Amino acid sequence: MFKAIVSAETLTSALDSVSVLVDECKIHLEEDGLEIRAVDPANVGMVDLSLDAAAFESYEADGGLIGVDLSRLEDIAGMAESGQLIQLELDEETRKLQIQIDGLEYTLALIDPDSIRQEPDIPDLDLPAEVVLEGKDVNRSVTAADMVSDHIALGVEEGDEYFYVDAEGDTDDVHLELTGEDLIDLQVGPAHSLFSLDYLKDMNKAIPKDTEVTLHLGEEFPVKIYFGFAEGQGQVTYMLAPRIQSE
Amino acid sequence: MGNAALRDIAVIEEVPFDEIEGVVAVDAHNWLYRYLTTTVKWTNSDIYTTADGTEVANLVGIVQGLPKFFENDVTPVMVFDGGPSELKEDEIESRREQRRSYEEQLETAREEGDEVAIAQLESRTQRLTPTIQETSRELLRLLDVPIVEAPAEGEAQAAHMVRHGDADYVGSEDYDALLFGAPLTLRQLTSKGDPELMDLEATLEEHDLTLEQLIDAAILIGTDFNEGVSGIGPKTAIKEITEHGDLWSVLEARGDTVEYGDRVRQLFRDPNVTDDYEFETTLDPDLEAAREYVCDEWGVDRDEVARGFERIEESVTQTGLDRWT
Repeated sequence: MFKAIVSAETLTSALDSVSVLVDECKIHLEEDGLEIRAVDPANVGMVDLSLDAAAFESYEADGGLIGVDLSRLEDIAGMAESGQLIQLELDEETRKLQIQIDGLEYTLALIDPDSIRQEPDIPDLDLPAEVVLEGKDVNRSVTAADMVSDHIALGVEEGDEYFYVDAEGDTDDVHLELTGEDLIDLQVGPAHSLFSLDYLKDMNKAIPKDTEVTLHLGEEFPVKIYFGFAEGQGQVTYMLAPRIQSE
Repeated sequence: MGNAALRDIAVIEEVPFDEIEGVVAVDAHNWLYRYLTTTVKWTNSDIYTTADGTEVANLVGIVQGLPKFFENDVTPVMVFDGGPSELKEDEIESRREQRRSYEEQLETAREEGDEVAIAQLESRTQRLTPTIQETSRELLRLLDVPIVEAPAEGEAQAAHMVRHGDADYVGSEDYDALLFGAPLTLRQLTSKGDPELMDLEATLEEHDLTLEQLIDAAILIGTDFNEGVSGIGPKTAIKEITEHGDLWSVLEARGDTVEYGDRVRQLFRDPNVTDDYEFETTLDPDLEAAREYVCDEWGVDRDEVARGFERIEESVTQTGLDRWT
């Protein structure tokens, strides 16, 4: 059983943050909210999302599992105008999702969850550095790095206590330092890792500019990127595996 | 080549590439040949022909074929054929004859300017020239892909390595891998999409045969090394073996004969293989040197191999999250 009413913004934010990594995903319809966990086919980027029941106008579920084509569902959600509500209801018999947006009815065929890539195990990471910054600063870093290179180094300078971004291109370089004043919070620790901008650019798209983003970093370790949406009732954690750094 | 009729007997299922991990002992000639024919078929010959007319389509083929292994964290070990078995010479002779006939047709097609026929025939007349043998090995070495030299059939050697636990799968299009006792064989490594997994244990179980009986059934149907008994297909072969127990009893009951039956049987049961091999499974390709070799030394068009090299580079520099789980 699953029946819910949710704002178009909240649903779209949730779907967008997953669709940057995968085309299809499994959605767990738990009693206290939705949960999605997915990893891209190359096993480089992972998303772990939860959307609490409180983020919905109304929510009823009893622990089912459905598989969806994300771009299809995003297209449908895109039919709603800002501020409109979307009603979702699972037809247990036909295994289709009935979607209603202000008189518009859409019947969405679901995907057999067994045919979707297995959900990943969450890596066990002990990351020494923590950087809390605004979404717009993440965006600024990624956009600048993307102008010169395919990859980006993220690190923390322990002595002078700042977070830095480095991108080295064939001809041009980008360097950005964010100190305690620019950041919301900083816990220093040994951290320097290189990441593919292809992935980080996509993840950045899903990060709201006005939100608080927490980065957990280590030395040649994956980065964990955490942020909330839907007034904190939705949580997204991305994990991105590093590139090996050539000396 | 092998016998395609074995497909009707073998237990084969398609498996997603992400479920495959470990080491694949690849029948190198078989693998290379596939890429050679597709490269020649789809690529303008100027791209892989040096100024003095030497064709190195194999280099293009290798750069196209290897990324798949790297990207899926599967280590390929290329097992090259040694000298052919005496018995296989008939097969080789008949292939040679066929090639001669293709070459004649190709000549005619060229005279007539039939582009399609030329492309098709060129792909069939490819052979592993000494240059191809040599340059393939050198490129594989630069890319740190292990090479094993088989004393005879590469496929038999590959099967031997899997049986010994030094590799996890044989990689071959050839169904004969079953007869050489390869526990697990991956097919379609050279095609787009997911490979097929051929399972020896499951095959034997399904037909309630021993490996020796499966070999006998294959000899009745026909292998690379012998003509089969006329009128015996996969179904009949299994029925006869199940009923009579082994090759000789079947032949006796039917009043048929198989030339060299005993030797063919021996060839599959106790093939000429070696334990003298060693390889690392963590690959550290020197992409700069490989690019230089292919593009500068052999003059292959840079654009033609750029994507393949990039894919290999990307797969060795980008780690996967599974490393931390």
